[in-house]
Amino acid sequence: MYLLKEERVKSMNIRNQIKLRIGSLALPLVLFIVWQFIASQGYILAMILPSPATVFNTLITNITQHDLLLHVAASLKRVIVGFLVGTVSGFALGLFMGLSRTAEKIFAPTFHVIRQVPVIGWIPLIVMWFAIAEVPQIIIISLAAFYPMTLNTFAGVRNVRKEYLELASVNGYKGIKLIRKIIVPSALPSIITGATLSLGMSWGIMMAAEFFIDTSYGIGTRIQAGRSSFNMALVLVGIFTIGLIGYVLTVIIETLGRVVNQGRDVNKEI
Amino acid sequence: MSKNITDRYQWKDRLLGLLVPVLLLIAWQGLVNLKLYSDLILVPPTKVLSTLVYLAGTGELTTHILVSLRRVLTGFLFGASSGFVLGLFMGLSESTNRTLGPFIKALKQVPEFAWMPMIILVFGMDELAKNVFIAIGAFYPMVYNTYQGVSSVPNKYQELARVFDFKNIRFLSKVILPSALPSILTGLRLSLGLSWMFVVGAELFGTDSGIGYMMYSGREMFQIDVVIAGLVVIGAIGFIMNALLKMIENKVLVWNVSVEGGKG
Repeated sequence: MYLLKEERVKSMNIRNQIKLRIGSLALPLVLFIVWQFIASQGYILAMILPSPATVFNTLITNITQHDLLLHVAASLKRVIVGFLVGTVSGFALGLFMGLSRTAEKIFAPTFHVIRQVPVIGWIPLIVMWFAIAEVPQIIIISLAAFYPMTLNTFAGVRNVRKEYLELASVNGYKGIKLIRKIIVPSALPSIITGATLSLGMSWGIMMAAEFFIDTSYGIGTRIQAGRSSFNMALVLVGIFTIGLIGYVLTVIIETLGRVVNQGRDVNKEI
Repeated sequence: MSKNITDRYQWKDRLLGLLVPVLLLIAWQGLVNLKLYSDLILVPPTKVLSTLVYLAGTGELTTHILVSLRRVLTGFLFGASSGFVLGLFMGLSESTNRTLGPFIKALKQVPEFAWMPMIILVFGMDELAKNVFIAIGAFYPMVYNTYQGVSSVPNKYQELARVFDFKNIRFLSKVILPSALPSILTGLRLSLGLSWMFVVGAELFGTDSGIGYMMYSGREMFQIDVVIAGLVVIGAIGFIMNALLKMIENKVLVWNVSVEGGKG
């Protein structure tokens, strides 16, 4: 009897889950049908709203003939390099300011003022100063990754529980050992949040960097090409590609974060 | 006596905070004095200051700032209000959240800048396109934070409201909104910050006015002093906007806490 009830609850959960999935698919499906209908009736110029079939064909020809994958690779490379430069330096500054109150007093005011300048605003200056190949794009992307990483590392390091630090000092942990064994592990959830935000920012700013700084390869470049040749299908393909990759990147870094967090069993510790 | 000591410590803290800017200025001036770079690439800090004063004096700067601010406010009002309404509905009704939530999440995966070429193709290059673009930027943080605030109104408040027979508008204005206010205000602040970022981006895309345009044309004409002056101005305005909304937030939060404390 009891088991049966359990099973029923379980199956209901699955049914509810399916319902939930279908519910979330309803809106995109309706929009898709409306799109197809409007496009096939010709109410709106094909230049503004190409049919789904046209967009799909554009996607295929872009992959087979126009090196869409190479464009994607170029954008990914930029984002990854910029992300790494930005997060590593953000981690270093956040750790430094988190460990030492004097360092915080010296660097935090300047950091918070400079942070108020929108990242996009740096583009004209960076382009004038570093007009060498990939450098301006990477600087802009790493700047976008730098801010959230610094803030979250700082918060994580500052909020390490006092008991841990006391325990560490009782056991004679000092210097690098203290940082490696106690501070960084307990700040890790916050650091991971920082890295996740940083990746999102890098990905978003990469688009702007590719729009405003001349490049021959990149998804942003491809979308711009679509705009200047009035090819809306190409623009939509670009938007779709960029959304899809952004999603995959988010899933990857969130899964990675969960794995790292579980490995430490932080929830059981506290 | 003890107050004096804390005052002195705060003074010391302030001075420490000035250390980096002062060192940066000295390094900047030093680099200029070395004459390694042409004045197309590097101008002394004093030149930037005099350019700033000059631009402010001719009224050019004020015009650009006002144009940009108008764009920001229009886009922000559109984006934030629609984000607020949507977030409110999603927070109040589970089925709305289920239908719209994943869709908005999927759209959010597309960086705001990626919409720009499409917006230009559909709306052209004029004011409307910029407003739409800024509105998209203002929209997401507002949806997210309003939803978070509304959906996490404590159950005991809702029960209390039911006991008092609060319904519809009254329930919304007396229970839901006050309780969600801190989160909504955070949403507003983030939203305004992003709007300010996107107006600069939108103006880099091609227009004939605005602070972003001023920087863009400065770059085209190799007037690096204008570019840096623009950076200082957008940073200052961003800073003021953030500080202003944070001040409002703090005031409201104090009120919020005291009300909660009063109820025990």
